[in-house]
Amino acid sequence: MSKHLIQVLDPRGQPSGIFGKALSADNEMMDLLNPLGQPETTLQTMRMAKRLPSLDGKKVYLVETGFAGAKEFMEEVQSWFTRNRPTIKTVFRSKGNNTFANDPVLWEEVKNNADAVVFGVGS
Amino acid sequence: MEDAGIPTAPLATAHFASYMARDSQIHGVPLRFSFPPHPTAWVTREVDKQYVEGNDPITGQPLMQEVIDALTKPLTEEEEKHPVASTRPRRPRMLAPDTEDNLRRLFIRNGWTDGLPIILPTEQRVAEMLTGTDHDPQEVLGRMSVTPHEEKLEYTVEKVAVNAVMAGARPEHFPIILAVAATQRALFPSSTGSWAHMIVVNGPIRNQVGMNCGSSALSPLNLANSVIGRAGTLMTINFGDIDLAKNFTGAAGSGFNYNNLCCGENQERSPWEPFHVQKGFKATDSAVSLFRGWSMQGFTVGPQVGSAKKMAELMVRMGFPAAFIVDPLVAMSLKTEGFETKQQLAEYLVKEAKVAGMGGRQGRPIDGKGINFIILGGEWNPMFCTTDFTYLQTEPIDKWVPKAGIKMADPFYRMPAQAICSEGVCGLDLAILGNSEASKQ
Repeated sequence: MSKHLIQVLDPRGQPSGIFGKALSADNEMMDLLNPLGQPETTLQTMRMAKRLPSLDGKKVYLVETGFAGAKEFMEEVQSWFTRNRPTIKTVFRSKGNNTFANDPVLWEEVKNNADAVVFGVGS
Repeated sequence: MEDAGIPTAPLATAHFASYMARDSQIHGVPLRFSFPPHPTAWVTREVDKQYVEGNDPITGQPLMQEVIDALTKPLTEEEEKHPVASTRPRRPRMLAPDTEDNLRRLFIRNGWTDGLPIILPTEQRVAEMLTGTDHDPQEVLGRMSVTPHEEKLEYTVEKVAVNAVMAGARPEHFPIILAVAATQRALFPSSTGSWAHMIVVNGPIRNQVGMNCGSSALSPLNLANSVIGRAGTLMTINFGDIDLAKNFTGAAGSGFNYNNLCCGENQERSPWEPFHVQKGFKATDSAVSLFRGWSMQGFTVGPQVGSAKKMAELMVRMGFPAAFIVDPLVAMSLKTEGFETKQQLAEYLVKEAKVAGMGGRQGRPIDGKGINFIILGGEWNPMFCTTDFTYLQTEPIDKWVPKAGIKMADPFYRMPAQAICSEGVCGLDLAILGNSEASKQ
């Protein structure tokens, strides 16, 4: 076995600070990884919202994300709230378009009406 | 939603806990995730109910109490701060000197290979690869990520050369590899569905660099097909930043990912226009086309007359969009039957599929543009293969070729090839098949 030292080049790409951006509502899932249809953006960090003192009397949106089994799971989450926390009003919504696409109409509804949101379930 | 002042409680199954942690870290968004057990897909409602009423397996705490806490417990000091995304330092161009054996270990341990032996990318070897183009080694060729959630890595012509060396490529192959890199596509993106890609080369460069478009073109029996396809794989690993432990979610993966079904179209034996000409290139141009899908239905023999009907039946089973890999014998038969162009054949398949009540994936209407044909094979038998591959894009190759022409390899770097087909030399005698028109092609 040779102990002779050699030097080679790093094969990995350089960090760019550029990320993929959420897809538009009318994007087909098949376009998901098409860089030409995927605008790039530099990263903008976000602040977390202040938490509610209590959920009693509040409207909590339950948004199912469209992954396989998400609707059924979130329906069970809604049943749990009904059985265990009846003072919390839940509103069930399915994200439109396909699993990976944006749904700006729903986001607008949530922003206008919800006190809090549970998203699920990523799988 | 958080930015709009609405508290959120996202749920993801426990299998994705580390993935979410990494995602939060690099995006600077420390969301309050809770994790039911995995999977929640294809389980009964009773199981869903047990998961909802049970504990988060990551924390051991009751799941729904965690959800309520996520929405009501005041933000911690850390969460109150404007979060900062983690950034990665620039990488050095050269790795620290070491023995060959240790460097091989390093490449394996860091996940920089496909697990097969590589040629170590020394400066000398990379410089030799760079003679395969006139482009500036530091020219930025593109950015890539294996998942849209993560930072894209930037790569230069030199980085492509590094991965081409590792794949065992020669300078003559480099223009095609650069064209593949220019697509900026991860050839096996992180997806539970485990995508595969197909790389198809058209134009004079196929023959100049000795690509196989004929017999066994999809088998590991040709240097150019193998190393060009493998370079695509290594670029996906190293530019896409794949780390199986952190960011790659393929359920079972795909064997097609080893060299991405890299081949050339058998233009010389095709009765129809070459694929890149369909996409607006001249026949004298060289270009590489990418397709994406999952699966192939093995090669189907004939029938000698009426292959189109059989193709329609198989497409109805496989789904739309579709791509057919068609031996020249079948293509010539189909032309004899009256399909003057690939487009005419595609329209016929659409008509037959509609009669069978077929629709496109996700409710998309089916049309001839979503059906493609690649002529490939050695004319041993009238066979075709049905795939669910979608056409993605075609990139020019000639812009990467040096002004002085392709840096041709030593003839030593060629594997045995089937004799070039011409009537009576190889393959079947078409006259014996009773296809006298086809035999005139």
